[in-house]
Amino acid sequence: MPLDIDRHAQTASPVQRWDPRIKLVALMVLIFATALLKTLPMVLLAFVVAAALLLLSRIPLGFVAHTVKWIVLFLLPFFILLPVTYPGTVELHLFGIPFAMEGVRLALLIVVKSLVIVMIAMTLFGSVRFDVAMVALQRLKCPSIIVQMLLFTYRYIFLFMAEMQRMDIAMKARGFIKGPNFYTLKVLGGFVGTLLIRSFERTDRIYKAMLSKGYQGELHTLVEFRAVPKDFMKAALVIVVAVALLALDLAGLFQIAEQSWY
Amino acid sequence: MHIADGIVSGPVIGAGFAGMALLAAATMRNVEMDEIPKLSVAAAVFFVASFIHIPLVVASIHLILNGLVGVILGKRAFVAIMLGVILQSFFGFGGVTVIGVNAVMLGGGALLAYGVWQLRHYVSLPNKEVVFGALAGAFGIFFSGCVLALALVTTGEAFLVSAKLVIQYHLVLMVLEGAVTGACVGFLAKVKPDLLAGQRKVQAG
Repeated sequence: MPLDIDRHAQTASPVQRWDPRIKLVALMVLIFATALLKTLPMVLLAFVVAAALLLLSRIPLGFVAHTVKWIVLFLLPFFILLPVTYPGTVELHLFGIPFAMEGVRLALLIVVKSLVIVMIAMTLFGSVRFDVAMVALQRLKCPSIIVQMLLFTYRYIFLFMAEMQRMDIAMKARGFIKGPNFYTLKVLGGFVGTLLIRSFERTDRIYKAMLSKGYQGELHTLVEFRAVPKDFMKAALVIVVAVALLALDLAGLFQIAEQSWY
Repeated sequence: MHIADGIVSGPVIGAGFAGMALLAAATMRNVEMDEIPKLSVAAAVFFVASFIHIPLVVASIHLILNGLVGVILGKRAFVAIMLGVILQSFFGFGGVTVIGVNAVMLGGGALLAYGVWQLRHYVSLPNKEVVFGALAGAFGIFFSGCVLALALVTTGEAFLVSAKLVIQYHLVLMVLEGAVTGACVGFLAKVKPDLLAGQRKVQAG
């Protein structure tokens, strides 16, 4: 699982060159439009759009595949659950168990939608340096305190991840083996407690260092944004696609994946 | 347990964001500058803890520990969890459109856990930190399960059975999360009690 999502932010491509503020807004519109789609053909079309964006950004597919794999694994139960438990009368029976094709369609809709949204999100946050994305959020009137906390948290994640791995090795070196028993839970409780104490004490020192360097609760940055007409044209294109997807979805040309879905 | 993108319907997404805005506004009043690092640390630990896996008989599940965040941060826990959820969505888990739903689900659970945790002042027990820590962890995660089930049911009747399974799954999680949270809170109460929220000054004598 790649934690440094912005590893490929420096690649030269039209997506990376796109002004982060405008990119954020345009791709968010596309993401929410996708979330509202109700018909399978339109979701598949959205998949094509997302794949095109991803290819355009030249972010390696292997980088995205790892995350996508987990999402598919996570959503796999729906493929079993929904066809078997779909309400209403069912014609088809497999081995005496009712099997509704509507359930398959709904499961497919969910999984593809999920993939599309993750692909767009990874294109968005994979194609801009994380701190620049946060500054863009602030320029878009996101509260400064939230932006700062996101930046701190992002920084700490790497720190604590390394700390946790060190502690994990130390535990294993002392012969600890995880197992399905109460003892494991108790040890893990202590593990998390130690992680918390170490983290709080370390960040306390960091905070004091920041104060001594003049931190006053404000975020200063040298990042400057300069939007050119091309940036707006890209955004217009994406938003037109998003609106077209929604309009075609609502036009009633295709069967809605679930009737009681409103 | 998180919900991913693409499952819940438009109204549920909207309700999630509305709920998140309300809870954030209610719990973020007068945040001081020196609280920023503490909240960020808790958010990061909450994020990292979701990589700790517990082996169960057949599968392994990961910890959520939203109840623990509630016990440590009190009402500010909601903000920390909201941050964790937002960051997770940037990384591709959890989902961008369901930030609101996930924040209400997990953050709401943390607030409930804090409520349960505070009840310890009315009881005198030898090991009450452990007991109420465990209860806070268990109720925190159970609340999340209920919100998740509610989000599924209001999305469509096709998810009725899935929602029931979600509740059953969370009954198992209650035991695991309760045990880990209880052990963790007991440890903190001994080693660094001022990390825990809502501590009362010990009376002299």
